[in-house]
Amino acid sequence: MSTATRRVSGAGVSRPLHLRLIEREAPMGYILLLPTLLVLGTFLAWPFLFGLWLSVTSAELSDPGHFIGFGNYNFEFKIDHPFWTSFWNTFLYTGVTTVFKFTLGLSMALLLNQIFPLQRFVRAALLLPWIIPTVLSTLAWKWMFDPTFSVVNWVAVHLHLVAAPGPNWFGGTSTAMAALMIVNTWRGMPFYGIAFLAGLQTIPLDLYEAARVDGANRWQQFLHITLPLLRPVLLVVLLLSTILTFADFQVPFVLTNGAPYNSTHVLATWAYQWGVPGGAIGLGASVSLVLFPVLSIIIAGVLVLLRRPE
Amino acid sequence: MADLEDKPYDPEREAWTRRRFLKAAGLVAAGAAAVPILEACGGGGGGGGGALTTGKAPVPRQGASIRLLQWVHFVPAADTEFIRQCTEFGTKYGVTVAVERITADQLIAKTAADVESNSGPDIIQMQYGWPHLYDAACVDVSNEVGILKSKLGAVASVNDAFCKVNGVYKAIPYTIVPNAFTYRTDLLSQAGVTSWPKTWTEFAAAAAKMKAANLQPFAQTDGHAYGDSLTMWNPVLWSHGATEVKADGKTVTINSKETRAAIAWAQNAVKGGFVVHPEWLDPDNNQAYHANRISATLNGASIYIREKVEFHHYDSVSDNGVVPAGPKGLYTMNLIFNHAVMKWSPEKETAKALIMYLMDKTNYLKYTDIAGGYNAGPFAAFDNDPVWTKDPKMKAFHDVVATGKWPGWPATPSKQTAQSQQQYIVADMFAKAIANGDTESAVKEAESRLQAIFSRPG
Amino acid sequence: MATATVSRRNERPLMDRLAGRWIRIYIPILLFILITLFPFYWMTVTSFKSASELFDFNQSPLFVAAPTLEWYKILFFQTNFWHWTVNTTIVAVVSTSISLFCSVLAGYALGRLRFRGADAIGWGIFITYLVPPTLLFLPLAFVIRDLHLFNNLWALILTYPTFLIPFCTWLLIGYFKGIPRELEESALVDGASRWQAMMRIAIPLALPGILSAGMFAFTLSWNEFLYSLIFMNDSLSKTIPVGVTTEFIKGDEFYWGVLMAAALLGSIPVALLYSFFVDYFVAGMTAGAVKG
Repeated sequence: MSTATRRVSGAGVSRPLHLRLIEREAPMGYILLLPTLLVLGTFLAWPFLFGLWLSVTSAELSDPGHFIGFGNYNFEFKIDHPFWTSFWNTFLYTGVTTVFKFTLGLSMALLLNQIFPLQRFVRAALLLPWIIPTVLSTLAWKWMFDPTFSVVNWVAVHLHLVAAPGPNWFGGTSTAMAALMIVNTWRGMPFYGIAFLAGLQTIPLDLYEAARVDGANRWQQFLHITLPLLRPVLLVVLLLSTILTFADFQVPFVLTNGAPYNSTHVLATWAYQWGVPGGAIGLGASVSLVLFPVLSIIIAGVLVLLRRPE
Repeated sequence: MADLEDKPYDPEREAWTRRRFLKAAGLVAAGAAAVPILEACGGGGGGGGGALTTGKAPVPRQGASIRLLQWVHFVPAADTEFIRQCTEFGTKYGVTVAVERITADQLIAKTAADVESNSGPDIIQMQYGWPHLYDAACVDVSNEVGILKSKLGAVASVNDAFCKVNGVYKAIPYTIVPNAFTYRTDLLSQAGVTSWPKTWTEFAAAAAKMKAANLQPFAQTDGHAYGDSLTMWNPVLWSHGATEVKADGKTVTINSKETRAAIAWAQNAVKGGFVVHPEWLDPDNNQAYHANRISATLNGASIYIREKVEFHHYDSVSDNGVVPAGPKGLYTMNLIFNHAVMKWSPEKETAKALIMYLMDKTNYLKYTDIAGGYNAGPFAAFDNDPVWTKDPKMKAFHDVVATGKWPGWPATPSKQTAQSQQQYIVADMFAKAIANGDTESAVKEAESRLQAIFSRPG
Repeated sequence: MATATVSRRNERPLMDRLAGRWIRIYIPILLFILITLFPFYWMTVTSFKSASELFDFNQSPLFVAAPTLEWYKILFFQTNFWHWTVNTTIVAVVSTSISLFCSVLAGYALGRLRFRGADAIGWGIFITYLVPPTLLFLPLAFVIRDLHLFNNLWALILTYPTFLIPFCTWLLIGYFKGIPRELEESALVDGASRWQAMMRIAIPLALPGILSAGMFAFTLSWNEFLYSLIFMNDSLSKTIPVGVTTEFIKGDEFYWGVLMAAALLGSIPVALLYSFFVDYFVAGMTAGAVKG
């Protein structure tokens, strides 16, 4: 297809070399990609490789250390107790919040797909948690779960949902993890919601009409029309959200930072803990690099799972 | 040498008076040779001061600009006074002084980053044993410490342990923040507790009385609170005869029957009515006390001072008590701060001169006065600081200074003890044992974590 | 927007349907709104409560009895909040610009041009998502140190594009793919160079997508925390998220009033931007999700 254009543009008139280069797709393609590759190469690819190197050294702050092979990984996997806690917490945190975000997001989308007054305002309002800087809204939640002055508890007690004074959110591991999950779900659900809404709105209505005529009830319509046609949206949202939640640093760091006694750390915050206050850069790098293969496996898994029955 | 101590610090005058002494001692002819000898004798020694001053006092360079990094003081008025004194120094010597303040737990990250990038403030406030962590980046200040020792007496043992790295002073002692128990006299007497408990056993009994009387409990954090966790659980450990490591700084000794005894005390105390909060950070016990939720807690003087100065709710019914003793003695822990001059500073002498100015007795006493007893001076001369007698209720904060030890005691402060402290290994051990009653696994985990630190790869 | 309910109009009495609507639609939506917006309400209310009200639960904490502006005064006059706002804005604007520049070009190249390696590079850019900031922050600290950029806004401006570009590129590939080839083809036939076709036809047509990508990038940049926490240690160099979390817990006091005031004000610029361009936001999210 493009040969025709090339011939036309090259016919007769002699053009400067740089323009001729841009004519052809290949050089132009590479040139256009140059800025991106430069940025990503310098500040992403190179640090990644450097991180790999750091993780096999005993590097500490102001001490480049020396090569120690798998020493750091050995330490983390075999000796460092909180590492495994943070490892499993990361899975738990991602898994539970994904389920809730998915369900609530889908419900939200189904609701928003109806007609009702102030629709635009409602839609805009429901997206707000996702827009506002995470750290700032997490601080509000931290205050809402405060050990002494939790408003969540105050409301729950006054609604007779729990006995006074209400759960000590950050005082126990399960309640603290629950708090983390609540905040993450609150924050991430709108992303699922809006994406699903857009997906819903691309489904032709006649499909539903035809199904209704054929005798399918709402639930069957949902199962056999809505869900399958939402699959591509589902896939993308799930992929992105899983990656981001797995690597989440902000919510766990601001809300609990591991409290109580290192039981609510996730891989991101544990890596930070070793690397920055602890000064053990090589060790911190090794903890955070555990994310990479795990992420790759999960993503591959999600892709396979959702691509299969096509 | 009386005139040296009474007048405000003036490096120019210092040098002149020293020259007079040398002359009077007949050394003026050999003055040039004598000074290095004096420096060699005076620097780096431990213990008390002598009649001889040691070496030259640092002289500020006019037109210099220096930065000092330190924490945000828990008593705001103290920071105001600190900045005022720095500005006063600046005006007097034609120096620009910028004071940067960040929260205590951010200080280590910032210090680490500065050391890493080999640039940053000229003076950094070193908390706990950081001079040992960063000793390569800190300038040798043995000369200055020697001068201060000769004027102000011996250095408090904890500051000394922190400032002296391998026999060389890498930081100048600055201050101690004593921690003691602040308690509600009205609630305690209501419950039948007539005097502040002297031992941990009595403490547990008193906490139980509070519970029996259905009154606000004794409460403390056992979480990752920068101050209140360390100052509570280390003394509990030590006073039962337990330690993290031996004095050699290598052998981990946490797995012992003494540790188990300490944990048993904690578990029983909690069963009886002592409330521990693993999620509390430093501000939480303050918050709870001011909100009338608790009746006693271990803290710096900020709770009592704020009641007295700001809130006026419970100041008349609050008093302060010394940390109780255990079967193996009375041990306390306080927050310790010192000032290090960093090796990348282009104005080392000016920086040193500023610190000397701040440590001048008159200036320092003004500071402790405004801090209201929140700070204690780290030299023997400050032992009878009038701030302790101004308000008799502050006596407990004076009394806890002498018995103070440091994280990792009896080992010398080191990178490893600092890491153990930063990871809250001792607090975590108590927290877990209290939470699930499993003493064995808590001790074993603390032991393996400590062993990992004291023998980590590289 | 006709929905399934239309088909049932003739089947049930009005009151039933109304009640049904309330149960099925209005009440759930109200619940969603309540839960979504309560934290913002709480932020606002807290920022206007005086210290005595903040720590007194004998009255309802849900309302303010005697509002005060003292926290806002402290925020503006005793902290470096204004500096942080300026820093955050500068970083967001410049890094978004850089990222858009790179992604527009890259999006066009990958979405429109055919050349060897295009697919591989496309996947490569997607793969960068597997290397999130959590993985890179420690080695990046060394890179930033070697470039002497600690406490310099450029440390952020240069590193933020690493997570902004992949998303924007991916978004724009979709947009560029959606522009009919014929439009450019006809221009090329008329003698325009490929570069001109790109600049004069493709890019203008992709403007809605570019705007969406820009909105997104701005929001993501404003939201970033970890890199800023590591690279910016001087108080004057910090961005809002870092400044608020590191400087407002002063030792023995939580300054909840100031914290919430700062959280509120720190959210406003993005919220405003969002409220004006919400359609572009939604379009961006959905284009990425649906077309990608």
